[in-house]
Amino acid sequence: MSAPSELLELFRCGSCQVSYLPTDGPCPHCGATARERHTVPALGTVLAATELLSPATGWPSPHRLALVELPGSVRLLAIVEGELPSVGAVVSVRRDGAIYRAGSEPAAAGIERGEGESPRVGATDPSFEPPR
Amino acid sequence: MGRYGKRPEGLIDLAAEAAGLALEGIGRKAIDLLVVGTMLSHGPYGPEAFLPRLAGRLSLETAAGLRVESASGTGGMTFHAAAMALESGRYERALVVAAEKMTDQPTAVITKELSASLHTSEVATGATMPALAALVTERYLQRHGLSTAVIDLASTHARAMGALNPSAHFFQKPATLGEVESSRPVALPLRLLHCSAISDGATALVLERGAGPATVLGLGQGMDALRLVDRVELSTFVATRLAAKRAYESAHLTRKEVDLAEVHDAFSPFGMIHIEDLGICGPGEGPAWFEKGHAELNGRVPVNPSGGVVGRGHPIAASGLAEVAEVALQLRGEAGRHSIGRRPKVGLAQAMSGIGSHNFVTILGREAP
Ligand SMILES: [Zn+2]
Repeated sequence: MSAPSELLELFRCGSCQVSYLPTDGPCPHCGATARERHTVPALGTVLAATELLSPATGWPSPHRLALVELPGSVRLLAIVEGELPSVGAVVSVRRDGAIYRAGSEPAAAGIERGEGESPRVGATDPSFEPPR
Repeated sequence: MGRYGKRPEGLIDLAAEAAGLALEGIGRKAIDLLVVGTMLSHGPYGPEAFLPRLAGRLSLETAAGLRVESASGTGGMTFHAAAMALESGRYERALVVAAEKMTDQPTAVITKELSASLHTSEVATGATMPALAALVTERYLQRHGLSTAVIDLASTHARAMGALNPSAHFFQKPATLGEVESSRPVALPLRLLHCSAISDGATALVLERGAGPATVLGLGQGMDALRLVDRVELSTFVATRLAAKRAYESAHLTRKEVDLAEVHDAFSPFGMIHIEDLGICGPGEGPAWFEKGHAELNGRVPVNPSGGVVGRGHPIAASGLAEVAEVALQLRGEAGRHSIGRRPKVGLAQAMSGIGSHNFVTILGREAP
């Protein structure tokens, strides 16, 4: 389990300024390739979590996954280590090769949410406009 | 359409059977375009061989051919491709066939093949289609403050409708709330009876130029990021909303004129999300639509009278075309025991690729365009 002082590396797009997970490809938001590295505290908020009891071949059962939001509204899908976290819980996140892992974070106090959303992301999302 | 379910026949036999039913009274000579779709690639032939094999079986080698593929949205894409080709004026009459053979493979093989339509970074974490569907469902429930129990209603509705449809995998097999909530957990909160069944099946229809009892009024497509975390919305499908907006615009109709909807409930809670995205009810009102009976055959806007993907079974590529075929049957008054109470004037079919990366909305009506 990582200490709260640990950091996670992200890319910031040189064109649209949006932060995103490190990738070989271009910015997933605008397609630009210019970017700079920066780090954020390796703590995120759980947006949703699931427990698979019919996992894909080669994975243990149960296998737990969480959608996690980092400061700056960067989201990632992480393998959960330990118990299934509840929505809104703060977890520590670490990179493990090409994937991310999330663990429970007892020292959760003091997480900064940046310009990020509340755990109930969609509730205030202005883009929701049903067809007329 | 042929019967969906566990069938002994292979892919081409299933496709040829459905094509034969569609060609009854028309004959193959009149067909100048064959549009086909299938997704999975196990077995001695890949999807690449589907078009020539089927054309050969149907003696349609003189027609023009198109094979399209869009994962679980393939059936929707076949119909859109055929409609666009006819609209170009180049062809007169298209036979559209979408088929999938699944039950000859172990579930693990199917799960792996279906994962080909997901982002590799998601698959790398051990995510499956049901896992991602569970995360979307969880977001949806959270967003609207709904209890997990509401999604069970969508499953019992699907099975009740499917029980009336002789072509459905679950014909005469309704499910109770108790059976849904006690079914095997797959990816919580999704249980087995929230998930569509692995099924064999084919759907075929003939589309021709001109107007008739079931006429294409509007088409719309929408795309979204393949990877869930790259999307603006996690609790609803932007691709459906975009497709619906475009379809309503091209049909010069509003959501209020839709008399019935066939939506792609690969996982039953998606049925609730889809009718919200289509504007049939407001955000968060999907569960109430089912609860109050508005989705039933005599409801305000019946949803999935065919049983939908959960009630009908899910031969991946075929489902999207079955949705369009069901709307056509309803408009023609030929849906038999699952006919909706009031014969519709306008019906809408919505198909979805993967976890909502490419969605198709098709609006059909009785009126001439
Ligand atoms: Zn950018």
